Amino acid sequence: MATVHGNPFQLHKAGRDTEETWFTRLDPRAKLLGILTFVITGAILTSTDLLLAALVLAAALAAASRVSAWNLAKAYIVALPFILLASVSLFIFTGPVQGANMVIRVSTCVLALLVLVNGTETFDLFLGLRRLKVPAVLTTLVMLTYRYVLLISEELDRMRIARKARGFSGGKSLLDRYGLRVLSYTAGMLLVRSSARADNIYEGLKMRGFREDMAAWRRRTMASADFAFLGLFLAASGALITIQLGVVP
Amino acid sequence: MHIPDGLMDPTVAAIGLIEFAAIVSVAIVVSRRSLREKDLPRVAMLSAGIFVAQMLNFPIGGGTTGHLVGGALFAIMVGPTFAIIGMTVILLIQALMFGDGGITAFGLNALNMAIIAPLVGWGVFNLMKPLVGRTGRIGQGVSVGTAAWASVFVAAAACAAEMAVSYAISGGTYGIAATVSVPAMLGFHAVIGVGEAAISAGVVTYLEHVSPETFSRRAAANPSSSGRKGVLRSTTLRASGAVLLVLALALPFYFLYAAEGRDGLEQTMEDAGVTEGAQLANSPFTYGQNYFGALFSGIIGFVAVSLAMTGIMRALDGRRAADEM
Amino acid sequence: MLEAESVGFVYEDGTVALDKVSLVMEEGEKVALVGPNGAGKSTLLHLIAGFRTPFSGKVVVSGKSLDSSSADLVRRDLGLVFQDPDDQVFMPTVEEDVAFGPRNLGLDDIDRRVTDALKSTGIEDLARRRPHRLSHGMKKRVAIAGVLAMDPKMLLLDEPTSGLDPRARKDLVRLLKEMDRTMLIATHDLEAASEIVDRVVVLNVGIVMQGTMAELVAARDVLESAGLEMPPLPRLFRLLEARGFPTNEMPVSMEQAVAELSKVIEGGDVRVRAHRGVQERKRAETGVPHPDLEIDRRKAQN
Repeated sequence: MATVHGNPFQLHKAGRDTEETWFTRLDPRAKLLGILTFVITGAILTSTDLLLAALVLAAALAAASRVSAWNLAKAYIVALPFILLASVSLFIFTGPVQGANMVIRVSTCVLALLVLVNGTETFDLFLGLRRLKVPAVLTTLVMLTYRYVLLISEELDRMRIARKARGFSGGKSLLDRYGLRVLSYTAGMLLVRSSARADNIYEGLKMRGFREDMAAWRRRTMASADFAFLGLFLAASGALITIQLGVVP
Repeated sequence: MHIPDGLMDPTVAAIGLIEFAAIVSVAIVVSRRSLREKDLPRVAMLSAGIFVAQMLNFPIGGGTTGHLVGGALFAIMVGPTFAIIGMTVILLIQALMFGDGGITAFGLNALNMAIIAPLVGWGVFNLMKPLVGRTGRIGQGVSVGTAAWASVFVAAAACAAEMAVSYAISGGTYGIAATVSVPAMLGFHAVIGVGEAAISAGVVTYLEHVSPETFSRRAAANPSSSGRKGVLRSTTLRASGAVLLVLALALPFYFLYAAEGRDGLEQTMEDAGVTEGAQLANSPFTYGQNYFGALFSGIIGFVAVSLAMTGIMRALDGRRAADEM
Repeated sequence: MLEAESVGFVYEDGTVALDKVSLVMEEGEKVALVGPNGAGKSTLLHLIAGFRTPFSGKVVVSGKSLDSSSADLVRRDLGLVFQDPDDQVFMPTVEEDVAFGPRNLGLDDIDRRVTDALKSTGIEDLARRRPHRLSHGMKKRVAIAGVLAMDPKMLLLDEPTSGLDPRARKDLVRLLKEMDRTMLIATHDLEAASEIVDRVVVLNVGIVMQGTMAELVAARDVLESAGLEMPPLPRLFRLLEARGFPTNEMPVSMEQAVAELSKVIEGGDVRVRAHRGVQERKRAETGVPHPDLEIDRRKAQN
């Protein structure tokens, strides 16, 4: 179910200075841990009541965090095909309850994740990964790749404009063989140009003492607000799981 | 095919995570031999390139667009080990930057796009190379294209299978019934695969012409890597190894399905009568007794296979380097 | 501080990049490395920074001999500012990027270092901004700040003024001029170099000449063969000299030029049968009060 992945708007957003809200100021560790737990919880809920409760919590988070609703909506739409396919098929094959549950469950998880992602500096999330014991090779590559993606997309924009300036308007259909060829040449050219810079950038990093592992950056300590947030979500998740697993009707 | 959270059955998702973690760890261990610190920027640059390339959408008619996955391209350019790592990096960034693809579903997404796609692409490419080798540029284009198409198709099939198994073992709470998931995924991606094939072939052709040393098919600089010799020299064997690995990945899901799943259609008939009106449907954790048995044996079988694969992969990478010297 | 002895280097495709290059720099010296494009200036800088191993000769930085194992250690004493700031600037915000170097090196007092570096490059108010959205000139300053924050013993700058608009260029020149640090600047911007450095090394694969800037501008054949343009100030005085208006020493910086001119103006000797262009410039210099000229005139009067 391929749709537009990471459309260019979101890339440019990464370049813009984000406005600060209480949510963006929270310690990324608290956000990551809290929301992650919540998402995992949400994914294993199957009772409609619990699911609705989770959805309400997620929606409340979204509203309170002041993350742009427009961004949330745009990203949500990316997941929509899967959501619809799954819930409609469940609706037909298993029953309306399951169909509804599916929509609610996936929406809840997606919403929570999107709030986290849109309201936190991406780089901090990468560092959070390292904290979670993801191997250094991966996290270093992730950080480097992220940096390069921003560079390459600028390069791509320039190439696209240059292409248009020379009258290219193809690539509009799969049957456009010439267009596809140009597209792939563009891609190839991009890789060539980018690789030439890769070595320079490596040297630039080495010049500033970089070794393979990105050490922890923010020496921030968690404040009470951070603990409160974390506590809230851990508690909510705990409650939901307990009810789901055990005891209930 | 970035699957969001909450769609797949938690057990399926868990298996996906375990398999993914195992394979990617293997890949990291194997790569350490040939990945020097100064290679990091190049691999990252390639990941970045494919990341951006993934955002180039091509319309496939009917108003929908498809986009490049890039697993096959990656593997053909720098070998399966780096491709697995690189594609994982791409998926991580997509998840953390855009929320594309879920967290609990990350294992499955990575399995499909970062492991199965590159392995299949690489395997098919190497299997085809000797067959069309003599036809030069066209032959290469055909092999790359076919490999790319196959990588997308098989990845989609895996995704469909995961959905179907989720559906079956959860009695209709998670997943998508096979009758829907299989045609939908396969049909859609059969078409997308064409775009992938064309673009991948185009890029490889372009690079071969313009600048073959850019991401040369150098996997390693040290030919002395492994003790396995002789029998693993054959390209066919290498490629078969890759395909074997993909099949091995399916084993746990098969075990799971065999233990718990029932025929989709029949089951839904029963369920329709049973679950309507019930509030708490099926808690996945209270399923039958052979549940854990199947899970366990599946995992053990899988770990055994992947340990064997480590040996083979290590040899493959070393062998590749030696052959390309 | 730096001792390069008979360094040689060859590119992958076989062309010779550097040939028997020898260079000695004392602490506190500011030296310009000039030459045409492809002369090997960048290569030499990168080599000194330990990114390439010389084929022949050796390099000693601050007493430490440079080889593949000591490269990391030697680099701690150096600060190489790349030609393209995008190659160097990395973190999401300016202040994090400036802190990147010190953090990697495990230095202490990072916050103070960052603030000082930002202040000395004049970009404190950009601290929370995203670097890759800034203008080229600002990005260069971020790169320089990032290097300064590591407090290196010696700065290596690769074409620092390239791509800058006149204002930014002027600011950067002033910054480097006022900075009290050993520096080696690779550039083909002679005008900027003459404001900053004491000594000049002309490089064209091999060393063509070493000397003061005044000596360089006097050596017309060297300028010619190195594809360099004489900067406007010396050129002006050369033209004046040709019209019977000699100077004792060829001024290369604005201050020197002003000093020379004020001497002449005070002496009242302005007999020049110059053509229009020079005349207009003279008029501008004596008629309309130029700030530097004003100050010097008053100084000479007192």
